[in-house]
Amino acid sequence: MIEDLTGAIEITQRIEAPPEIVFAYLTDSQRFVRWMGVGAELDARPGGRYRIDVDRVHVASGEYQVVDPPRRLVMTWGWEGHPTVPPGSTTVEITLTPEQDATVLRLRHLGLPDEGERRQHTAGWELYGGQLAQLVAARPPD
Amino acid sequence: MTAIANSRRRQILRLIWDAEHSAGEIASTVDDVSWPAVSQNLRLLKNAGLITERRQGTHRYYRADRRALGPLEAVLRQMWTRDLGRLRDLAEAEARFRRRRRD
Repeated sequence: MIEDLTGAIEITQRIEAPPEIVFAYLTDSQRFVRWMGVGAELDARPGGRYRIDVDRVHVASGEYQVVDPPRRLVMTWGWEGHPTVPPGSTTVEITLTPEQDATVLRLRHLGLPDEGERRQHTAGWELYGGQLAQLVAARPPD
Repeated sequence: MTAIANSRRRQILRLIWDAEHSAGEIASTVDDVSWPAVSQNLRLLKNAGLITERRQGTHRYYRADRRALGPLEAVLRQMWTRDLGRLRDLAEAEARFRRRRRD
């Protein structure tokens, strides 16, 4: 279900719920924060902005470019203070396709900087996720 | 609790991201409650392969292993996969709830 694209990632997820409900989880601040981050302010309309407090350390923000309920959402994406992926530098595109009573969600994260550029600039700024996320999922030490 | 522990490990990672520091230096910089907690966080980070340890005499020195944090694509893919999995669970629960109310 996951394929590699150049400077992009694509993830497909089948959800046993109608697109209207899925779209609400993507655009409604209260629903959104239940699956991503610890705080979110979303103004989901074309030209509107969002700000997501991912983990009280990293903040993601950007601008909505396409808001077409309940089918398509395009927004710029970046982390505040990040040397190579600042706000406005990458794009996240989410499409919802109904399939009987379910929805197929496809997310594409486009415009990622190449590895060389990132290595050059990212010193001192570590990303969340990856092994760190697995580590955190393990029993907390205190 | 997990988030707090998480932020302390992050703090440690940031401190030793560019330069090696001794266990004592780390403990005095990180606002953790106790040395055992700092020590356990260092051990967890080491076991996860995120930091390397060097012993010299009775001292231990730590440094982040930046390669272990993986390329940006891998980190992002893992983040989106995990979070979209949560979105799926929530949306499916809400859809089931609405169906039950309708019946």
